[in-house]
Amino acid sequence: MNNWLKAIYILPLFIGLSSCVEIIDDLSMNLDGSGTFKYTVNLSSSKSKINTILNLDSLDGKKVPKLPEIKSKVAEFTSLMSKQPGISNVKVETKYDDYIIKFQCNFTNVSVLQEALKNVINTLAIDKKGSVDYAYNWISWSSTKLQRSIPEISLQKVSEIKQSELDLLRTGSYTSISRFQKPVEKTDNPNATISTSRMAVMLKANTFTLTKNPKILENTIYLNQK
Amino acid sequence: MKKILLVCTLFFVSTLVAQKSEELIPSEAITVFSLNNIQLLQKISMDQLVQYDFMEELQQELFDGSTNNKTIKDSGLDFDQKINVFLGKNPDYSISGVSFGVSNTTNLFTVFDDFTPVESSYSGVEWYDSYFNNLLIKGKTALLIRVEPNEKKVDKITDSIWYARGNNSPWEYDFEEEAVEEPYDEGDTLEVKIDEGYEVNPEDDFSDTSENLMKNYYELRDSIQFALQLDYEKLVLDELFIQNKKLVATDSRFAEQISHNSEGTFYFDYSRKMEKTQGLTYFSGVVPSIYSDVNELYEGNIITGDLVFVDDHIEFQVLTKYNKQLGEIYYSLADAKMDPAVKKYIPQSSPAFFVYKVNMREAYEKAYEIIMPILTKEENNSRLSANVMMLDLMNEFINKDAIFDAYRGSVFGSFNGVKKIKTKKIEFIYDEATYDYYEKETEAEEDMPVFTVGISTKRPDIPEKILKYMTKILATRKDGHIQYINNVKGSEYYVMDKAILNSAPLYMINKNGVFILTNDEDLAKNYTNGYDKKAISSKELKKASQGGMMYAKIDLNSTVNLFPRDIFSPKENEIIDALRGKSGTMELTTSKTLKEQTNLNLTYDFVTGKEGTGEHVLDMINAIYILTK
Repeated sequence: MNNWLKAIYILPLFIGLSSCVEIIDDLSMNLDGSGTFKYTVNLSSSKSKINTILNLDSLDGKKVPKLPEIKSKVAEFTSLMSKQPGISNVKVETKYDDYIIKFQCNFTNVSVLQEALKNVINTLAIDKKGSVDYAYNWISWSSTKLQRSIPEISLQKVSEIKQSELDLLRTGSYTSISRFQKPVEKTDNPNATISTSRMAVMLKANTFTLTKNPKILENTIYLNQK
Repeated sequence: MKKILLVCTLFFVSTLVAQKSEELIPSEAITVFSLNNIQLLQKISMDQLVQYDFMEELQQELFDGSTNNKTIKDSGLDFDQKINVFLGKNPDYSISGVSFGVSNTTNLFTVFDDFTPVESSYSGVEWYDSYFNNLLIKGKTALLIRVEPNEKKVDKITDSIWYARGNNSPWEYDFEEEAVEEPYDEGDTLEVKIDEGYEVNPEDDFSDTSENLMKNYYELRDSIQFALQLDYEKLVLDELFIQNKKLVATDSRFAEQISHNSEGTFYFDYSRKMEKTQGLTYFSGVVPSIYSDVNELYEGNIITGDLVFVDDHIEFQVLTKYNKQLGEIYYSLADAKMDPAVKKYIPQSSPAFFVYKVNMREAYEKAYEIIMPILTKEENNSRLSANVMMLDLMNEFINKDAIFDAYRGSVFGSFNGVKKIKTKKIEFIYDEATYDYYEKETEAEEDMPVFTVGISTKRPDIPEKILKYMTKILATRKDGHIQYINNVKGSEYYVMDKAILNSAPLYMINKNGVFILTNDEDLAKNYTNGYDKKAISSKELKKASQGGMMYAKIDLNSTVNLFPRDIFSPKENEIIDALRGKSGTMELTTSKTLKEQTNLNLTYDFVTGKEGTGEHVLDMINAIYILTK
């Protein structure tokens, strides 16, 4: 859920340059607790801005990575994720013309996914500031309940984003989708919607609002007992 | 009566012999900005003043809280003297500093509170220094100066000593010796590692360890830099205070310029900048006769200027002087008429535009006539001779009529504001039943500054040929196709998709003897034959074309403040930032170019608001400083 923040760790320029970032976090849970995690970052509506910034050496005192560096970071991310225990079928699909990155992996359980992401982000963190030390789990699963929240570190990171950068996120969106093999009974978050098939839950937030209130995407989803 | 005469004479003599701040400008200065009427600045706070780029040399001294809540008036400066900011550079070192009058040293040292007195080597001069700069006070004048050795020279000397001592490259990294940090305990002794390649002479006296400790590369470099700095500092200050070699005495043109009573004056000796440019010095060894002739070509090339304040506008009147040879080239270049066809493509609403007219053909012929003899003079350089031969043959064989008819020399450019441009984006569409999603390409809009650049041409068939061929050449590419559009309105243009920043289209219009490149869709689709009544007025074009080579007009509020930072280089952004937040109009006009000189006038019509006149003067100086530094 907090992975939109993780994108900041990997590609810090995204925050500054993307007036319209679209993030989709798509989690499919199997009955045994395993599942598939998909994460998509779509910057296609800001591509001219990104192209401009990629042509610069630095922006506001921060080094702007070149496209090959970004590609290499993405490849490193893929390789590191593949090596994490309990993680398989890691795929990254990139469309650099439109600046769309789609990540996907299978996991044996949500703890494994959490741990894997944490390890990889920490390995890739350029400096100590970027490292993540969660004492808090952002996702937990029992056979009939999925609980998602944002760890404290996210709040800390949000406070580090400059006001001028926050304003750029006003038109962005974050969509969190959770899919199940059993029908959904109810959800805690009143903003969440259940699909007509009742097999999926969607929660959408504006990225700007999310930075102001990271708890907006917290949700507990209850599945039918039967 | 005799007493009155004596008093008057004494006053007159004392006025004449009184030290003036401009007399403390070293002869090495190449650029000097002098602010004469500093009365204007009395109300400006020191904090505000030191924010300006032209005060950057002082910023380390002043950004430490010592300027808080102080105006320039409180800082002990003498308002009857000029403030002079100067810069200079030669292959060995660079100088930068400020000279000014002092009325109250106690107040002065409340601002320059980091300076400590040092023993002065110069009679009648008090010397103070800080970590970065030297402050020298002679009578009622002060000089704040920094002398910095050329970095490349420091590197060269350091490398030379470093390798002569038998050391390896300082950038080589020995992975096997990667240090493992161990905790430091009290009682541990610090072990200094001596480079193994260094042979110890048993006769050396090592009793003074501070003298003989082996320095690492960076320590050695720092020592060399410091030693050179002291040497060059002494050289500059000896010249100034012992040999009396000051700019006002060594350059009569500067002396004349600084005597003007305008609000500010500007002096820039381009010939010395050329001569002392590190890159050109390289040629002195390789092609000595060319080096000497090129220097000769720029001899006497000096730019001086006056800042004149009139009611609600400031004028920067610049005079560029050059010698006969260079003057011949400039004169030929400026012998051009503005093609009236460009007028119709500059919209009246344009917040900024420029027109530029030169006679390319004449300038080429004149430059060829003057420069070729210089190039052919060099006898002992076969590579150069081969290049000169190619140049000579091309001059014979190439169809110059076609080239100079295709591009005659009239250029124009306009900034047409920031517009929404159409781009494509990928959207994710969700299925309500399952929340599965798929990608769909949709139209999007992004803000983009809209520019138009065009040239007048007598041979529109040549750009047409190029465009037609390019259309075919690029046809097989994935992106960047060129397409010919001829819509019902009779508008015809070429469009290259994803040409700008891989997203926005570039339009190419080749009509009415004008070839245009623009990202303005409106111009391409609706005004390929010109803006007609919506174009700038004939009166405005006349004003633009009446003068010399260039005319530019910019409405600061609706131009500079709208420029997105992203699309400009750091240097360009520095200039734009200097003007950001200002309001008013800037107009640049040039006079007819003569064989000895050209006049250029930059007028800044400001809107009177919260800012006072002093701020506007400083804004103007700052913009000029950034442009010329």
